[in-house]
Amino acid sequence: MNVPGERPILEARGLTRRFGGLVAVNNFSFSVHEDAIHGLIGPNGAGKTTTFNVISGFYAPTAGRVLFRGLDISGRKTSALAAMGLVRTFQGSTLFQEFSVLDNVRVGRHLGARAGFLSRLIGTDRISEREADAKARETLAFFGLEELAGEPVSNLPHGHQRMLGMAVALAAEPKVLLLDEPFTGMNPEETRRMMALVRRIRDRGVTIMLVEHDMQAVMNLCDIITVMNFGALLVEGAPEAVRNDPAVIEAYLGSTDGAGHAS
Amino acid sequence: MDLLWQTAVNATYAASYMALIAVGLVMIFGVMGVINFAHGELYMVGAYCVVFLYAQETFPFLLAVAAGLVFVGFVGIVMERTMFRPLRDNPLGGLIASIGFLLILQTLAVFGFGRRMGHVPPSTQGKIEIFGAILTYQRLFVIVAAILLLAALWAFLKRSKFGRALRACAQDAEAASLQGISMNQTARVAMFIGAGLAGVAGALTAPLVSPTPYIGHSIIVTAFIIIIVGGVGSLEGAVIAAVLYAFVHTFVTTFFDGVIANIVGLALMLAVLIVRPTGLFGARERA
Amino acid sequence: MQAAGTGGLVRRTAWRLRLVFLFAMLAALPYLLSYSQQEIAVLLVINVLLVCSYRLLTLTGEWSLGHVVIMGVGAYASALLAKQFGVPVPLSMLLGGCMAAATAALLSFPLFRMKGFYFLIGSFAAGEIIRLIWKRFTDPFGGPKGLKRIDPFPDIEASFLSVDFYEPVNYYFLALAVVSVSLFVLYRIERSRIGLTFHAIHWQDRLAESVGVDTFRYRTLAFVIASFFAGIAGGLYAHYVGAVNPTRFSVDQMVYVLVWAIVGGTATFHGPILGVVVLTVINEIVLRALGLDTARPLIYGAILILSVLYLPNGLESLGPRLQARWRRWRGGPAAAGREPA
Repeated sequence: MNVPGERPILEARGLTRRFGGLVAVNNFSFSVHEDAIHGLIGPNGAGKTTTFNVISGFYAPTAGRVLFRGLDISGRKTSALAAMGLVRTFQGSTLFQEFSVLDNVRVGRHLGARAGFLSRLIGTDRISEREADAKARETLAFFGLEELAGEPVSNLPHGHQRMLGMAVALAAEPKVLLLDEPFTGMNPEETRRMMALVRRIRDRGVTIMLVEHDMQAVMNLCDIITVMNFGALLVEGAPEAVRNDPAVIEAYLGSTDGAGHAS
Repeated sequence: MDLLWQTAVNATYAASYMALIAVGLVMIFGVMGVINFAHGELYMVGAYCVVFLYAQETFPFLLAVAAGLVFVGFVGIVMERTMFRPLRDNPLGGLIASIGFLLILQTLAVFGFGRRMGHVPPSTQGKIEIFGAILTYQRLFVIVAAILLLAALWAFLKRSKFGRALRACAQDAEAASLQGISMNQTARVAMFIGAGLAGVAGALTAPLVSPTPYIGHSIIVTAFIIIIVGGVGSLEGAVIAAVLYAFVHTFVTTFFDGVIANIVGLALMLAVLIVRPTGLFGARERA
Repeated sequence: MQAAGTGGLVRRTAWRLRLVFLFAMLAALPYLLSYSQQEIAVLLVINVLLVCSYRLLTLTGEWSLGHVVIMGVGAYASALLAKQFGVPVPLSMLLGGCMAAATAALLSFPLFRMKGFYFLIGSFAAGEIIRLIWKRFTDPFGGPKGLKRIDPFPDIEASFLSVDFYEPVNYYFLALAVVSVSLFVLYRIERSRIGLTFHAIHWQDRLAESVGVDTFRYRTLAFVIASFFAGIAGGLYAHYVGAVNPTRFSVDQMVYVLVWAIVGGTATFHGPILGVVVLTVINEIVLRALGLDTARPLIYGAILILSVLYLPNGLESLGPRLQARWRRWRGGPAAAGREPA
């Protein structure tokens, strides 16, 4: 098993995000170390998704900073973050449903397949495009989807679509991959396969941060887990420590009791 | 000083009929999620109801105005049934279909009345003076009628069961249908009221504007500016924005010229779209 | 799966043959037409470029109502450059296209803060402002009457060849050449990765953004390219007709572009071309023959509504649909599950 590196590759410092009067994330800090699989969990409405959206550049933070490899990236555009190596996935089967499987991954190769406007026009981008295609097929093979390259996405079963979503992100060659609820809605068999995939992605040198509801999967997969509640840090630590922490148990019990006013 | 005051009185008149048009457009958008591009032509049809019934067939003016409201309201119901209902999941399609409908209404008006301006004799003579500013009875009548109609609409929406249903559909169509509110029924009423308001605005102002089949163009531009400034989906916002726009437009027209006033109005709308796409008084954006 | 080797070669040859045939038809066409029909053919060719450039913009999912005004920017710019500064007409047309592209680049900053309805209305407002500026400022735009006596395309007077572009036939060939090259460029753009990225932005802009696509830049790129070719169409128009005015580029004209695009179908490259050709033929030949000139907007309106309701993918979807029905009707087991391409 890999040991996470010492250097933090992704950090949040005093992150705060307000929507009108509502404080979704409140002075929240954490750091993700290189080569880690880092889980972010918390009861419903704890601010996980908002945190995720701030890190990935969808919202700017109201206060605080996000650092990527020591560089302040708060408020930068999602596309600029992707160019730096910070790539996110989406919940469910957010894909280019009208495209073929291969074309989805080809869009994922956007950053790798550079060519000037004129060379696109006269077709001298063929070299870089061929390379992009090879990379795309390689990525598909990594997920065991190479046979389906020509299929329209809408023909794929749900589990395959979820893997394809990850393939699109991986094609962008991220340093850090942010996974948004990668196991939600999967059966145990699919979850097991997906977990193995996530580990293999990490073994390729990609640091992983994931937001997830499935506690079992998170406990088995992650090296370190950050628990949020009411927009702030509750506990952080190794899975066993977090599992037995009374504050975490109470937060989760509290949220099931008070599900009515959770959001 | 006199000119300022007179211009303010003129702007009040402009605000009154613009508010009727804009509130109708917002109403249609609120319930059906469709921007009705043919709204200016609904105004035009209302105006031609008066041209036909009052100016040509010499029925009483008030009767012609009422007929304008009801007839255009029914045109609205036809639009809902034939276009907006089948295209409910396709708002862009609804908009484009309404552009097609606009062309049909325009051509029918040309067939019925020719391309030239329709002449409508004034229904009342005389004028009053308010602190030195002159207001003709004809214009005063438009202002009073607009206030009465909007007040009646407001009361209807606040008090009646139907008003609640309308507001529920405008907020969340799915939730409304779960509560047993009929979407079709509500859309039909909203379309009748929305179109009827445009029609009655056309009917009321027919003696003052000399309608042509192509008058809808300037009307829809005005209505767009108002609903964008007011926040698409907000009835109160539409009224406030109508007053605001009418004053800006009337004053710029008086002190510069009409084209500059149109440019200023459009620039105002563009500025609002850039800074706050949901409008100055609007709440949330519709998905 | 298709074997790339011989199958591809055969298909490519067939495709080329079809293209040669098409150009032969287009070359013969003006000689089969009357003088006034030749004039219509010139405008039709220009409109093909207009609607095809419009489609490129719609690839990113945004529908503008300002495209005809942008065409007007090209027309006014080219006309003014030729009239006031004596710029040679072919160059002024090119500069007109650049002017239209520059206008689009400028407008993209406010407009692409909006999406969907808001973009539609915003583009409408921006277009109206430009049109009102032409109307208001007589110097240099000529006010409501616009510009007249615009320099024609220069005649070719060589010893062995003399071409007078006042003749519709000759201007037809000029426009055909310019439009063919433009369409080829538009086609190449769509088939390249740029086109793939446009489509990607249309279907899932957040996903595209997450893998590094700067969606604002690509929307602007689509807008600028589309506007450049609309501007070229405007230049072709201005130096053919010899006059432009603000009304010529009003929203009524935009409605026609919308109708052509939607009735033809925007899913494929040839859809809008089909739309503009079919509707122009119906309009100019059938309606004129029936003496229904004044009913033209009504019929266009009805066609627009009916196609939105019953043919949401346009005329271009009609062929595959009829084929599928034909196959189903014959009821072959092999044909049963097959979907039209």
